[in-house]
Amino acid sequence: MLSKLIVYAAYYLKSSATYIRSKRMLTNLLVNPDSPQKKYFDATMIGLIVLSIFFLLYHVEHQASTMGGYFEQLILLIFILEYLLRGWIHSDSYKIIVEEYEKALYLNLAFKPLLAARRILSKELEYMTSAFAIIDVLAILPSYRPLGILQVFIIFRLFKLFRYSNSTKLFADVLASKRFELTTLLIFTCFLTFIASVSIYMFEFPAADGDIKSLFDAFYWTIVTLATVGYGDIVPHTIGGRWVAVILILTSIGVLSFFTSILIAAFSEKMLSLRETRIYAELKGYQNFILICGFGRVGQEIAHHLSREQQQFVIIDRTQAHVELAKRLGYLAIHADASKNEVLLNAGIARSVSAVLCITGDDVVNVYVTLTSRHLNKDVRIISRANRHDNVNKLYQAGADHVIRPFEVAGMLAAEFVGQPVAFEAISGILQNQTEVTMESVLISEHSPLDNQRIDQLVLKANKLTLLGVISDNPIHHKHKNKFQVKQQHFYFNPEGKFVLRHGDMLVLLGRKYGIDHFRDQVEQQRLLQRKPA
Amino acid sequence: MKKIAVFGYNRLSFEAVSRLDPEHHQVLVIDHNPVQTALAAENGFATATLDFRSDEELRSIGIGRDIDILFCFFDDDFENVFLTLSARALDKDLIIIAIVDSPESAGKLLAAGANKIIDPYEICARKIHDILKRPHISDVFDHTVFGRHDLHLAEIVIPENSYLENTEVGKLELGTQYNLILIGIVNKQLGQQLRFVADESDRRLCAGDILVILGPSREIRAFKNDVENEFCSL
Repeated sequence: MLSKLIVYAAYYLKSSATYIRSKRMLTNLLVNPDSPQKKYFDATMIGLIVLSIFFLLYHVEHQASTMGGYFEQLILLIFILEYLLRGWIHSDSYKIIVEEYEKALYLNLAFKPLLAARRILSKELEYMTSAFAIIDVLAILPSYRPLGILQVFIIFRLFKLFRYSNSTKLFADVLASKRFELTTLLIFTCFLTFIASVSIYMFEFPAADGDIKSLFDAFYWTIVTLATVGYGDIVPHTIGGRWVAVILILTSIGVLSFFTSILIAAFSEKMLSLRETRIYAELKGYQNFILICGFGRVGQEIAHHLSREQQQFVIIDRTQAHVELAKRLGYLAIHADASKNEVLLNAGIARSVSAVLCITGDDVVNVYVTLTSRHLNKDVRIISRANRHDNVNKLYQAGADHVIRPFEVAGMLAAEFVGQPVAFEAISGILQNQTEVTMESVLISEHSPLDNQRIDQLVLKANKLTLLGVISDNPIHHKHKNKFQVKQQHFYFNPEGKFVLRHGDMLVLLGRKYGIDHFRDQVEQQRLLQRKPA
Repeated sequence: MKKIAVFGYNRLSFEAVSRLDPEHHQVLVIDHNPVQTALAAENGFATATLDFRSDEELRSIGIGRDIDILFCFFDDDFENVFLTLSARALDKDLIIIAIVDSPESAGKLLAAGANKIIDPYEICARKIHDILKRPHISDVFDHTVFGRHDLHLAEIVIPENSYLENTEVGKLELGTQYNLILIGIVNKQLGQQLRFVADESDRRLCAGDILVILGPSREIRAFKNDVENEFCSL
């Protein structure tokens, strides 16, 4: 009967949306390192701990105050609550029960609640014996006033601070990465300490006016000397003792410099990857940014344009010199191989990248990066550069949306310039935004006042705009002449006055930037005015 | 018929030369490397192998005499600068079009006397930027003006005594009469700068103005015929 009730409760929890949601919320708050809530929670906890330590220290010297008592109790409550909640989200007990139950059902055995209970317990024990959980408990203890000795555990409350910042982990990682060197050094230092302690003890202990009265004194002196601290409270008086000191000091300089150099090397190695992690962390905050793979001449030009428009982007390049140049220019750059899935995923290709530009000088790399990007994200726009004509189709096959051939574009420009210099300068000027006059498309939205309007009703003259044509995929326009197929759509060049616009159509306008903006504003205003009566 | 000398045979010059209309242009591909000239000859171009450093050899192919346009398409900027300088010294009116590899060479090439600088990387970058920011416009132009569809840009000079003289720009109505769109006008007296049509609707045209128009080639030909026909009137 009881086991049935337990199983029922487990299934109820499994299906309860509120339960799952609250658990996810708590996970985000307490453990998920990527969630924004955790940052605020950590900051609050650090503040509370520092405050509580001030109160505890105040108590050591002064009489307890009532306010302090209440505050201490509040902190205690929060700590205990945090401890319990962490235990709760550490494991999913109901899952274990359901799993055990289903296993029993499948094998036609009786469901043993004790077995499940043992698994749950072992999972909870795993949490309770983890280093941070122990520190949490120890941090709670100093609040228990009757036991004065527990005040020592204030130190553990300080340790709890580490829980809320990443610096400890970083430091531990650095030390761990140099495990071998550090162990060697530690063993050597142990021998040195042992030899020095014993020798100084042998020389100084028998001396009548010697400072060293015990083996612990000898050990203490050795450590103080070894660390180049040298308080001077214990000094050798015999010749032999002084020789030991001389040798110990000379050796300890070597030991210390070795230790420092290991740490510095480890940190500088770590810093590189840390900087990279920082870039990735910054990218997480970005929305709709562009990934530029390859920072050659083309990449530099594009980055220049994009940064002027304050469009966010990140550069990935294999060449150290290119990455350094990008960093000097103040761009976000990652020194990595963009053909690796991991690199692209870390950069956020599956998340918030809006376009990938594969523009290295090597077609093989471009094809590979295009393929990788397409594989990782089905919808992202990919623009690739083909340096050789025969690779264009390969790039399209690999999944590129657009393929650019720099030499073809430039060659075409040269050829056109020969024929019609004026016309060509004009159009390339417009297309490249070099002139004040620009060409832009204006979309006719569903409730736009332009919907179902005729072309000759448009207010173009007053805005000093020229209509070049209409882009549309609406089959209703098919009967019009001057139709040019452009991908899945049609471009209707120079449409007649009786051309009726439909929503989804796009006007291609030529004019000054503010003229086009003004036209857009007018349309928008009309739309809002029309809406009101309805 | 214009005579064009193309120095340096590579992907870029191949693209450029292939796009030139053979009816109106006579092309000579020149390289100092015989392997390259052989390659060009294989692709059906008229070729010559010569050292561009000697003025004698430059003269021998007609620079300073009958070459109208010079393409400096060497891979290295210093070679292009040298060639531009030598050619400009030989012929004041030569149209020199040079490509540039590194952006700081652009100024040097212009100083050496080039008329037009082409930076393939910069153009490529602008193009990619355009695709990112204005995908529709860029698509339309790729498929029409720069692509296979019959939509072209043209410039038409208004001759003396044309019916268009003294016509107001705003009253041209090319859109209804010819299925053409007028983009802008270059007025010789006001400098080489192109004026966009929307800013100039009350200007009167005069002989020597250049109209920049966009439209299908048949319409462009028809309009050109009418403009050059003295007896045609509105």
